[in-house]
Amino acid sequence: MKKWKRILTILAAVMLLATLAACGSKPAADTAKEGQEKKPEKVRIALVLPSTVDDMAWSQSMYEGLKAVQEKMGKDKVEIAVSERLGNAVDAGAAIRQYASQGYDIVIAHGAQYQSVLQEIAADFPKTTFAYGTGFQTAPNIFAYDPQAQEGGYLLGILAAKMTKSGITGIVGPVESGDAIKYNYGFQQGVAAAKPEVKVRIAYTGSFNDIVGAGELAKVHMDAGADILTGSSQQAVGAIRAVAGRSGKYWLSTDMDQSSIAPDTVLAAQFYQWEKVVTKMIELRQQGILGGQHLVLSTADGTLGLKYNPKLADKIPQEAKDAVEKARQAIASGSLKIELPKEQPKKEEQQKK
Amino acid sequence: MGFFVTWRTGNIYLGILISLITGALMGLLMGIVSITFKAEQGISGIGLYMFGWGLSGLLFRLYVGAITTIEGLRPVKIPGLGDIPYIGTIFFNHNWLVYLAYILVPISWVVLYKTTWGLKVRAVGTTPEAADNLGVSVDGIRYQCLVLGSMMAGLAGAYLTVGQANMYADYITAGRGFIAVALVYFGRWSPLGILAGSLLFSMADSFQQWVQVLGISVPYELAVILPYVITIMALAVSFGRVWAPAALGRPYERGTRG
Repeated sequence: MKKWKRILTILAAVMLLATLAACGSKPAADTAKEGQEKKPEKVRIALVLPSTVDDMAWSQSMYEGLKAVQEKMGKDKVEIAVSERLGNAVDAGAAIRQYASQGYDIVIAHGAQYQSVLQEIAADFPKTTFAYGTGFQTAPNIFAYDPQAQEGGYLLGILAAKMTKSGITGIVGPVESGDAIKYNYGFQQGVAAAKPEVKVRIAYTGSFNDIVGAGELAKVHMDAGADILTGSSQQAVGAIRAVAGRSGKYWLSTDMDQSSIAPDTVLAAQFYQWEKVVTKMIELRQQGILGGQHLVLSTADGTLGLKYNPKLADKIPQEAKDAVEKARQAIASGSLKIELPKEQPKKEEQQKK
Repeated sequence: MGFFVTWRTGNIYLGILISLITGALMGLLMGIVSITFKAEQGISGIGLYMFGWGLSGLLFRLYVGAITTIEGLRPVKIPGLGDIPYIGTIFFNHNWLVYLAYILVPISWVVLYKTTWGLKVRAVGTTPEAADNLGVSVDGIRYQCLVLGSMMAGLAGAYLTVGQANMYADYITAGRGFIAVALVYFGRWSPLGILAGSLLFSMADSFQQWVQVLGISVPYELAVILPYVITIMALAVSFGRVWAPAALGRPYERGTRG
């Protein structure tokens, strides 16, 4: 018995080592290859994500943006490394520090929660560029990127107000912070601008990744009469599935086009052009600017956009589309400003920086 | 796993069966670690949890690739009872896994308290020495319990994907299993107590969702923690001592006294 146990223990240890070796060998091979064909202008970008590259929301949108940059600039010019499931900022800190010490040029920590951990690490690596968002606080080598989620929220709010039959819209929110506040604020104002009598009901799950909880909350919203629903963060996919389970109810997406999950349910989507933001960071870095800028994603410069689901386009009356387009132009030209809660910096201040 | 099979074959029942088998295999693995090798259960449990999470994420990426939705189980309305206003929709209009969960409560109770096997289960959990003296295979019974319990956990996972969310995405459980563990303590290790605890928790959760949706002016943070607060309060004020099996988490080794 004892002997058998020992043999098994050794066997398990060997297997573990073999697995570790297998895991370890891939990056090693990469660096070896890199050593041969390394060019000085190659940009190495590391991405730290709170969820996964296929979450159909926040993380995936950034990952696809990075991929697009790589595609455009060439695989030999841009190297990408990704670490997923690091929603806990402390765990993420270890990965961020490791990427920085491995000599990555740009380390992107994709979430508002990484702000303080980045401030701490960035001081130790003055030659590395760090970036995070949603946020606005920067440092000499930290970029803060900041999608103006309220702009798309406003447009989708107009659409929701024009589309609702019950007069009730529902938001399945994650946690009351960051771009969720901005988005919800914009949505409420959009609804109020189009049809003040339409109700906006907001409820939060208290989590970013509680997919089942988001679905349950969406069902409660629908039971309470809402027929147009929306909400941000990666857990939204659960809510979309719940909405798709009932007829005559629609979902408005944010972060990215989520219509592939439920083609008959997602009416329209606000999407972010991370590609342009990442390109800008690379360009600034090449000019010797390692950080310190607040990069705003807005309707005005096209880094933030609105997309209709082509399959449901004929369900939306032209009048609603016209109203949305009118507001979009007003936002882009700057004649329409969307109020934000006081903690958020106003757009004018941001542009001064 | 259950989701994958359902998605591929379109057969939910086959998917659920596979979930049960996967659960059993995980239970077997846990048994090897904690019964045969007598590892510390809390730590090996966390290890196995992370293994399961990582493995499911990996398999999902390799074989499914992107978030996919499925048809899922349909609610089955119980004839007659389902037509009662209010109560009908609350209790008698669910998919059959929900009914199964309710039916499992009395079954577990009978098995645990009225059968020889149940007596053995309770014995190896409280006084494994005595059970061993009487010729009960402590390790054998513990293996059986782990495999059966893990099959139930597999079923619960299958419920989430094919019964409730009708989709799979990374980390779909969002830590729900830990609530289940807490409810076992809350229910004092008895099936009826656990049922009461589960109902209390989920009713409080549903209540707070309605409070938020109807716009009753309560900070959402308070609403979200409400089910947890109520559960803790119920535990604090309820009568009697919290009972747990004496040999909980303790590996059994012949000839030693715990």
